[in-house]
Amino acid sequence: MSEQIEQAIARKYDAGFVSEVESDTFAVGLDESVIRRISAMKNEPEWMLEWRLKAYRSWLKMDEPDWAHVDYPKIDFQSISYYSAPKSMKDKPKSLDEVDPELLRTYEKLGIPLHEQEMLAGVAVDAVFDSVSVVTTFRAKLEEAGVIFCPISEAIQKYPDLVKKYLGTVVPQRDNYFAALNSAVFTDGSFVYIPKGTRCPMELSTYFRINELNTGQFERTLIVAEEGSYVSYLEGCTAPQRDENQLHAAVVELVAMDDSEIKYSTVQNWYPGDENGKGGIYNFVTKRGLAETNAKISWTQVETGSAITWKYPSCILKGDNSVGEFYSVALTRGRQQADTGTKMIHMGKNTRSTIISKGISAGHSSNAYRGLVRMGPNADGARNFTECDSLLIGDKCGAHTFPYIESRNPSAIVEHEATTSKVSDDQLFLCRQRGLDPEKAVSMIVNGFCKEVFKELPMEFAVEAGKLLEISLEGSVG
Amino acid sequence: MMLSIKDLHASIDGKEILKGLNLDIKPGEVHAIMGPNGAGKSTLGYVLSGRDGYQADSGTAQFNGADLFDLEVEERAQAGLFLAFQYPVEIPGVSNMEFMKESVNAIREKRGDDPLSASDFLKKAKEACKQVDLPLAFLKRGVNEGFSGGEKKRNEIMQMILLEPKLCILDESDSGLDVDALQVVANGVNSQRDGKRSFIVVTHYQRLLDYIEPDYVHILADGKIVKSGDASLAKEVEKTGYAWLGAKAEEADA
Amino acid sequence: MSQWLADVIDRAGSVQDWLSPVRGEALATLQNQQWPGRRTEAWRYTSLHPFDALLAQPGSTSVQVDSREFAIEGLESLDLVFVNGELHTDIGSLSLPAGLSISALDQPTDNARSVAGQVFTQVKPERHLFGLVNDVLATSGVIIDIADGASVETPVRVINLVTDKVESHNRVLVRLGKQATATVIEHGSGDGASMNTAFAEYQLGYEARLEHYRFALHSADAIHIGGSHFQMGEKSRLNSTLVGYGSQLSRLDVDIHHAGEHAFAKFNNIYLLAENEHFDLHSTIEHAVPNGTTEENARGIVGDNAKAVFNGRIHIHPDAQKTLAELNNRNLLLSRRGQINTKPELEIYADDVQCAHGATVAEIDDEALYYMLSRGISRSQALVMLNFGFVQELIEQMPNKALRDWLQPKLKTRFEGMEVK
Ligand SMILES: Nc1ncnc2c1ncn2[C@@H]1O[C@H](COP(=O)(O)OP(=O)(O)O)[C@@H](O)[C@H]1O
Ligand SMILES: [Mg+2]
Repeated sequence: MSEQIEQAIARKYDAGFVSEVESDTFAVGLDESVIRRISAMKNEPEWMLEWRLKAYRSWLKMDEPDWAHVDYPKIDFQSISYYSAPKSMKDKPKSLDEVDPELLRTYEKLGIPLHEQEMLAGVAVDAVFDSVSVVTTFRAKLEEAGVIFCPISEAIQKYPDLVKKYLGTVVPQRDNYFAALNSAVFTDGSFVYIPKGTRCPMELSTYFRINELNTGQFERTLIVAEEGSYVSYLEGCTAPQRDENQLHAAVVELVAMDDSEIKYSTVQNWYPGDENGKGGIYNFVTKRGLAETNAKISWTQVETGSAITWKYPSCILKGDNSVGEFYSVALTRGRQQADTGTKMIHMGKNTRSTIISKGISAGHSSNAYRGLVRMGPNADGARNFTECDSLLIGDKCGAHTFPYIESRNPSAIVEHEATTSKVSDDQLFLCRQRGLDPEKAVSMIVNGFCKEVFKELPMEFAVEAGKLLEISLEGSVG
Repeated sequence: MMLSIKDLHASIDGKEILKGLNLDIKPGEVHAIMGPNGAGKSTLGYVLSGRDGYQADSGTAQFNGADLFDLEVEERAQAGLFLAFQYPVEIPGVSNMEFMKESVNAIREKRGDDPLSASDFLKKAKEACKQVDLPLAFLKRGVNEGFSGGEKKRNEIMQMILLEPKLCILDESDSGLDVDALQVVANGVNSQRDGKRSFIVVTHYQRLLDYIEPDYVHILADGKIVKSGDASLAKEVEKTGYAWLGAKAEEADA
Repeated sequence: MSQWLADVIDRAGSVQDWLSPVRGEALATLQNQQWPGRRTEAWRYTSLHPFDALLAQPGSTSVQVDSREFAIEGLESLDLVFVNGELHTDIGSLSLPAGLSISALDQPTDNARSVAGQVFTQVKPERHLFGLVNDVLATSGVIIDIADGASVETPVRVINLVTDKVESHNRVLVRLGKQATATVIEHGSGDGASMNTAFAEYQLGYEARLEHYRFALHSADAIHIGGSHFQMGEKSRLNSTLVGYGSQLSRLDVDIHHAGEHAFAKFNNIYLLAENEHFDLHSTIEHAVPNGTTEENARGIVGDNAKAVFNGRIHIHPDAQKTLAELNNRNLLLSRRGQINTKPELEIYADDVQCAHGATVAEIDDEALYYMLSRGISRSQALVMLNFGFVQELIEQMPNKALRDWLQPKLKTRFEGMEVK
């Protein structure tokens, strides 16, 4: 039976095409002059450039971390190009009609039409292609509600005070090696600002696409939810199928003020490399949110892509009664390696966190959950519940669980549970006896295993995630 | 002939369990199979449906003209063979509803029918639940997840009603049920008797046969059918038990 | 690099005995070791700061030992007493039951040499810095051999007493032959600012059965670093209980390596920490072959300024199908100044296994408390009962009644001295 399961999990990558657009791409290499050029391309004010340079100088003194359960050749940061943008984007198209149709076609092929009338009515999209944002939809409608949703490069120009006030406050420049690099060279990403008492009228989403060869993507996203506001944000990621590894090092910062709520969902489908581990994206991401009193931050991620995933969306539960959630599905197959999880730092009283992690490993892949739950001395009455389940498909893969629990408060309660299982022969037999082929049966059982996480995704995307998993599991049962 | 089994020998882990079994079933017939624990009743159901590890070593089984042993598990199911399990397994997170929808449509696709629309399917599913007295909430719950023994059995019959198979093998669908539940299960089965659909009813007790009247009763002991008769055979067994079989089976072996 | 370590390497150069070839290899490895810091994962929560102001010096002082101090009522054991690392028991004067042979490490019989060849540094090939220090410096110790088929009823107890300001190292090597049965107790205790490393290696043969205890009951200002390592042969069984108090720096490593199929290991561990005590337990369960079973339970209560570190790793190797391995760690934190750091780890490379771990840090069950209050028990009494009941369960699982009866009131008294909110 296990042979059939393994076949069922062999998969094709749908988003692996290359778009034929002419791009302006920096020569490979990184030094201060490259950072100055990026800053100049983006027309940045002086303070932004200084901020970048400061980060760069710190980065030079830092070491690449090696504690994660992943194994990859040393990255040569001088062989990467740090900026690439379609030529057609040079003169900042005013409307969709001026955008290069090839770019629009790219997003259409990925199932993301950018014409507002064709889109899901309740979703606004920022489309980032290599180092620039191509278009941000429904801006007018959002502006009516006072919501700012725009490329971060534009926010630096238009709302410098807001950006200055919050950038780097949750993930400091020197937070870690990759965050420092990002702070120095970030190109685009989204900026979201929800004013006090506002419920964002639409789902916001950003689609990241890496297209150009040998470029890295360094996106930076900043979401600020003022007192009593609410926003749900989703990001999706894809890249062409190439033999070379490409680096994606992003930073996401969330600021949730008193009584606000930010729901952040990710469907990550970067190119994972082929079955022998050739090519694929190195995904090194720092995501963190700060929750003030009564605020709630909820991370949901579905990670099916990337050759290497190094990612720990975290919550600093600073305010009393604040809530952090982390729901994750990570699927690895082929030679993929994932080391992902979360940190829940309980500082305030009666803070609550929930962690549900579902890891699925197949092929020769390696899938690790790494998490930290810290109960600080003032976190009276705080609570955490963690559940980590691993599903192994085949006997060549690895599933690992590394939870760190630190408690300094006698009234805090932490509960952690982890299990491993496989798709049982009995379950598979039942499904097949009811007429399902093994491929369908496996995908259904795996979907069931992930149910608790999928139900946390915004409705529009839950279907997409289920399909993605299905595609991921779909293969060549002959 | 719907099903024709000739001189079937089957083994688990190299141990022979079925030792030359013959059975012919025509469309519309109900055959009861009784026998002591460990006789090989469940094994017969598994070998016919193609479970891994249940190896048919020799003999044949023709199902509507096709050689069963040439088909994969799901192909047998798609051809209309249904097994109601003695111990149904749980599949956490997969709802009964989506499970059945996929099954129904996989089987329809094989028959060349269009998939059922969501609303048509829902209608049928509700109907099936009603027939076995299973609250509709069970459609939303994970397959067998946290069901009681009796609920699992009823859920199996519900699935049978939905999938409209040609041949139903019920493996001890009566065990662990109280009289009311037994009646519910039996009614569910009887409602599916249409003169074409055939049944193999595996049971330990005569009790179920009071409700589902068999055309034939077979006694399976030590991997063979040692005696066949009509419904009265079941009554006889009820009175005498299986003790007499010991001697008889040894005789047959000698 | 610490001055102490440089000194150890220096001293190791002058150790000459029959184990020198093996010690030489360990020394070579030791010379390449970094002094562990905060970034060394295995020492993440345990600071080696106490070494900076080390009071203990190598060398022996003449100490009179009152054996009554170690008497355990009802326990008829064969005692081997080490004082500051030196064996004080005249092995020749002991009358040993059939099948049991004991040899001092510095006066090995031929048989003891062959046992050491199989066991010394062999049971746990990857040793941390202090394991290596013990390899090169532990010239005193015992080699215990239980012959094939022998069933030794009398527990063998290795008493390891350390005293103020003395640094000492000792080693225990045990082999249980085919179908052999034995009970071994490692009983460590001490006064003052001692520094001691004590490692034991056990090899269990086919169908061997070992009942094992380790008591690490050192004084508050001691440094104690040690470990018990087990290599499980086919169908062997281990039942081990470890009890630790913590001290200025207490670190124990317990390793259970399933080398033969169908072995069964049960490992319970209790830590009860007060004042400024620090206790660090690292357990590593290696399932290298199929069909092994491990059950591990660790429970700790931490009061005052104490700090507990628990790292429980289960590693299932690629071929170790059908493994059953479970680890459960439960902690109670009684004080706002205390700290609990726990990290259960699963590293799994085989799919057809059942592995799980759980860890909790929590106050007592409100419902249980309410239930007790409603039966008229006072709040403070109920808290003590509930909290202590939590470690009591593991004490009750110890097979040896004399040890249970000795430990229960001892731990209870200790617990009652801790402040319960
Ligand atoms: N998985 C298995 N491995 C080995 N023997 C089995 C297995 N399943 C069933 N058997 C043996 O096969 C024989 C027939 O079992 P079964 O078909 O379940 O009997 P029944 O359903 O008539 O009670 C019994 O002797 C039983 O012990
Ligand atoms: Mg049966």
